[in-house]
Amino acid sequence: MQEKVEAQPILSMNSVEVLYDNVMLAIKGVSVQVPKGEMIALLGSNGAGKSTTLKAISGLLKAERGRISRGEITFQGTDITQALAQKRVEMGICHVIEGRRVFEHLTPDENLTAAAPSGMSRTALKVEKDKIYAYFPRLAERRNSQAGYLSGGEQQMLAIGRAMVTQPKLLMLDEPSLGLAPFLVEEIFGILQKINREEGLSVLLVEQNALAALEIVSQGYLIENGRVVMHGTAEALKSNSDIQEFYLGGGEGTDFHNVKHYSRRKRWLS
Amino acid sequence: MDWVFLTELAINGALTGLLYSLFAIGLVLIYKASSVPNLAQGGLTMVGAYVVLALARDVGLPLWLAIPLAVVVMFGLGFGIERVALRRLAGRPVVMILMLTLGLDIFLRGTTLAIWGGTSRSMELGVSYDPLFLGDIFVSRIHLVGAGVAVGLFVAFMLFFRTRTGIKLRAIADDYMASWSVGISVERGVGLSWALASVVAVAAGVIWGEIQGVDQALSLLLLKGLTVAVLGGLDSILGAVVAGIILGVVENVGADFLDPLVGGGSRELIVAAVLILTVMIRPHGLFGRHDIERV
Ligand SMILES: Nc1ncnc2c1ncn2[C@@H]1O[C@H](COP(=O)(O)OP(=O)(O)OP(=O)(O)O)[C@@H](O)[C@H]1O
Ligand SMILES: [Mg+2]
Repeated sequence: MQEKVEAQPILSMNSVEVLYDNVMLAIKGVSVQVPKGEMIALLGSNGAGKSTTLKAISGLLKAERGRISRGEITFQGTDITQALAQKRVEMGICHVIEGRRVFEHLTPDENLTAAAPSGMSRTALKVEKDKIYAYFPRLAERRNSQAGYLSGGEQQMLAIGRAMVTQPKLLMLDEPSLGLAPFLVEEIFGILQKINREEGLSVLLVEQNALAALEIVSQGYLIENGRVVMHGTAEALKSNSDIQEFYLGGGEGTDFHNVKHYSRRKRWLS
Repeated sequence: MDWVFLTELAINGALTGLLYSLFAIGLVLIYKASSVPNLAQGGLTMVGAYVVLALARDVGLPLWLAIPLAVVVMFGLGFGIERVALRRLAGRPVVMILMLTLGLDIFLRGTTLAIWGGTSRSMELGVSYDPLFLGDIFVSRIHLVGAGVAVGLFVAFMLFFRTRTGIKLRAIADDYMASWSVGISVERGVGLSWALASVVAVAAGVIWGEIQGVDQALSLLLLKGLTVAVLGGLDSILGAVVAGIILGVVENVGADFLDPLVGGGSRELIVAAVLILTVMIRPHGLFGRHDIERV
């Protein structure tokens, strides 16, 4: 699967290795490129290293006693391999972490306020909030209720909206579809696509729901066991027989986590 | 039943209770950000009082200048504690942070003892000790002043937590990881909560120092402060105020009934009962937040 030659990617991750607690090697030389303005998917089953890859990019590894032990990450041409998480947010990388962790005891409106960059004026924040509420009308309706009591879909929307307040150039989402009804996944992914189109935002989307993800991205990476085992356009991935068999259901089963794990591993790793 | 006397007991109990609240607000501020009851709050309160005295007596500044200066010094000390000690503990079990605050308390007590010795010094705020009568009821002026300070701080913090910085602090209290993910500096937020708690410690140290003198005993306020904070729910400033009033009234009125029966010492028993019963019956206190469970 040969890619067309692209302009300089907004994010480039080269042979990155991550160690947790100085012993546990969670990803083993992952290289991922996000072209500017595009949506890219990172697919893979449980424990493959998808979240670790995102944390390496956002700098949140440090909070979990993880570190990048090899390789480098550049964002818009700047080396950020060892930069502080806060610095990366300022530069324009925002990571919507796994499990829609909204600030439960704050209202949605306060959740958005909390994420405002320190230099953002009151009026700029207001404009930003209005924009986010326009993308997510459901949030606007519930802007003053307690975030902990929102539905799962609304919380995911809030988590995305909260990330947008930080004015990201690269938005990374960790399994936003998890536990949501298919119609909600469709709604949220639709909004993501709209944001990507209208704001020119680059998106790196981690998903186990490959079927839904491959509908909205231009390229995908498949991670297994801490390594990238496949990379190609969404079309190519969709028509790939392995992907079809194990990730697109290949019939009835959408629970692909453990299905024929052995044979799949053998095929990709040998 | 002497109703006037009972009312007087209740009102003075409530005023004393608000002075416990004044102390407990500092505990709540730190609990919100770090999820630990700060066992060094007593030590900080004592240090706050000593710093005011050092500036007023030893340097010779007037009190109106010494107190704000002490506020600045203690604000810096609070930030410093986060920077030097707490930051290293990020991600460790909460019980380790709790032990750190205990160590800090012992350190602060030892330091004050080494510098200023063990003899009690007086604050001398210049508040009159002439009785103040509201109708038939006698109240202490300094208690009234202290209660006013407590209510003033309560209002100030309620407003503060609606500002952008205050909202960020509440976000930190909710979820460190999510806060980092949107670029909030958790470290600076925790530092700020310690700085604010240290400022509250100056207020409590000045008022309680005036009432009971400035010495090592000031740090023992922690016990009643903790009881109030737990009863209020540990992370609620409103809770600390309401619980302070409740504890003050129950203690004052209850002791008047019980002391003749048990021959003194019933105040401590009442405080102990309130603390133990709260933990057993209502662990989240009156206003403590429950973790939200959605169905
Ligand atoms: N904080 C941590 N400390 C130690 N090991 C970790 C830590 N986080 C993840 N790991 C390990 O790193 C590997 C990759 O985990 P990661 O969370 O990145 O997987 P994932 O692809 O996101 O999986 P999932 O789909 O289940 O979220 C796993 O083996 C996991 O056990
Ligand atoms: Mg994950």
